[in-house]
Amino acid sequence: MKKWILVVSSLVFLLGACSESSSKSTEEGEEQTSVKVMLDWFPNTNHTGLYVAKEKGYFEEEGLDVEILQPGENANVNSMVASGEIDFGVGYQEGVTQARDQGIPLVSIGAILQHNTSMFASLEETDIHSVKDFEGKRYGGWGSPVEEAMLQAVMKQAGADYSSVENINVGATDFFKAIGRDADFMWIYYGWDGVEAERRGKELNLQRVRDLHPALDYYTPLLTTSESLMKDKPDVAEAFMHAVTKGYEDAIQNPEEAASMLIEANPELNEELVYESQEWLSPRYQEDASQWGIQEVDRWEDYGNWMKEQGLIQSSFDAESAFTNEFLPEGD
Amino acid sequence: MTKYLYKGLPIMTVLVALVLWQWMVKWTGVPNWILPAPSEIGVAFWENRGIIWSNSWPTIRITLLGLGLAVMTALVVALSMNLSHWVKRALYPLLITSQTVPIIALAPLFLIWFGYGVLPKVLVVALVCFFPIAVNLLTGFQETDEDMRKLMDAMGAGKWKRFLKLELPSSLPYFFTGLKIAATYSVMGAVIGEWLGGSEGLGLQLVRASQSFATDLFFAIILVIVTLSLAMVGLVVAFSYLLMPWNR
Repeated sequence: MKKWILVVSSLVFLLGACSESSSKSTEEGEEQTSVKVMLDWFPNTNHTGLYVAKEKGYFEEEGLDVEILQPGENANVNSMVASGEIDFGVGYQEGVTQARDQGIPLVSIGAILQHNTSMFASLEETDIHSVKDFEGKRYGGWGSPVEEAMLQAVMKQAGADYSSVENINVGATDFFKAIGRDADFMWIYYGWDGVEAERRGKELNLQRVRDLHPALDYYTPLLTTSESLMKDKPDVAEAFMHAVTKGYEDAIQNPEEAASMLIEANPELNEELVYESQEWLSPRYQEDASQWGIQEVDRWEDYGNWMKEQGLIQSSFDAESAFTNEFLPEGD
Repeated sequence: MTKYLYKGLPIMTVLVALVLWQWMVKWTGVPNWILPAPSEIGVAFWENRGIIWSNSWPTIRITLLGLGLAVMTALVVALSMNLSHWVKRALYPLLITSQTVPIIALAPLFLIWFGYGVLPKVLVVALVCFFPIAVNLLTGFQETDEDMRKLMDAMGAGKWKRFLKLELPSSLPYFFTGLKIAATYSVMGAVIGEWLGGSEGLGLQLVRASQSFATDLFFAIILVIVTLSLAMVGLVVAFSYLLMPWNR
């Protein structure tokens, strides 16, 4: 009998410990709203501002208790955000465009980088000097249809035949493990894998996506949320974006300090790479824009039209509703 | 009448569940990309039958290769463990350990070691299927009738003859029990392997469907995977019927 009482009471205690309520009290006795953000990939310098905002207490100042989550293998972050399971996500303009085309209520609320820094990269010895050379090669990707569609379109434009490309899903395998062995060319962010290649002294051939067509300077990565969150909890979205803006502004001002915060939160990252990558990326968060995160309707329209022309989306795309600047702080 | 009702009960419950599901989805107005109605899944299956068909073959091939490899390894391991106490003591911890390693964590490593071809996926299937077959076989060898064994020894049958005539046939029911369990998991093992990387197969198609919000297609593919798993079990049952005439 005694044993039973012990077991039951310890169970009750455990349950109590596990079922934390969704709002934590701060020292001032304020209620904190708990918020979940899901990244697009493992943590990297694209996400630095989020970690700075958490580390420096900017989220807390806005009354938010933010949890940053890494997606599982092949998880669909856009679906989780659109359905409201996750409050905010890191995504890409091509993904948001395609999702909205299929009636998924996903909205972009801030551009992490002002210009597209993504590129198709291959080892020098593979001899890929233009999109035309992709023919007959192996592409290593993460298995999303958007990716396949983009590849098809840029190749068609260059007069190349996509059907000769073998598209392999290499999942979460990193660029340096897969390139040249499992795949001949891959799609990378220069600010991470490109910088790492420089560090290792590896010569890469690169095709910048934004050079392939004027419409391809789209926003990637960006922050997303669902239409329902915008409607029901605009104050949470605003608080979140204000804190994140501060985080990215700090990362722009002081790359080194920001990088150290990213490493502190994710000690398994390669320290030297983070510092160098941050150095390269920090000036590019805001680049030529009036403030961090701001998005222009032209960029959404141009890319939407291009996707339509290429037959990648079915219906005509409403650029106005796909993104918003309303949650960003008023530009000074 | 009652007999027919009893016989048709499984089909009835499935049908009732489907009707309920259909009705719930329509009534609550859940968007199709969160939970599709059975009718939509059916439509998605029909519209994509071509791709599903062409992606089924690689998965079936991996399943059969993996299961074959598992049977061979299990035979060798169980036999050698049966023949010698030393081997048994040596291998038993490895046998158990092989089942405690999380496959999901190991599979990406396989991909790094062996690339994105067929081999790593076959290994995943073999790793999942090997254990139930080996353990059941070993039990089967050891559960042979003691009196029979003494009789055969008295009549001067050698170790090898005794194995062929006595231990092997009497262990068959155990072997098929293990194989049935393994077959149930085999297709799932192949799908897990494909899910983690590659260029064809149902697992990869699952990834693509989920990435493109085609939840109806996602469910349709799962239905195909379930059907294939059941077919594998059916195949094992058919084999056991053929190979053990004394059990009919």
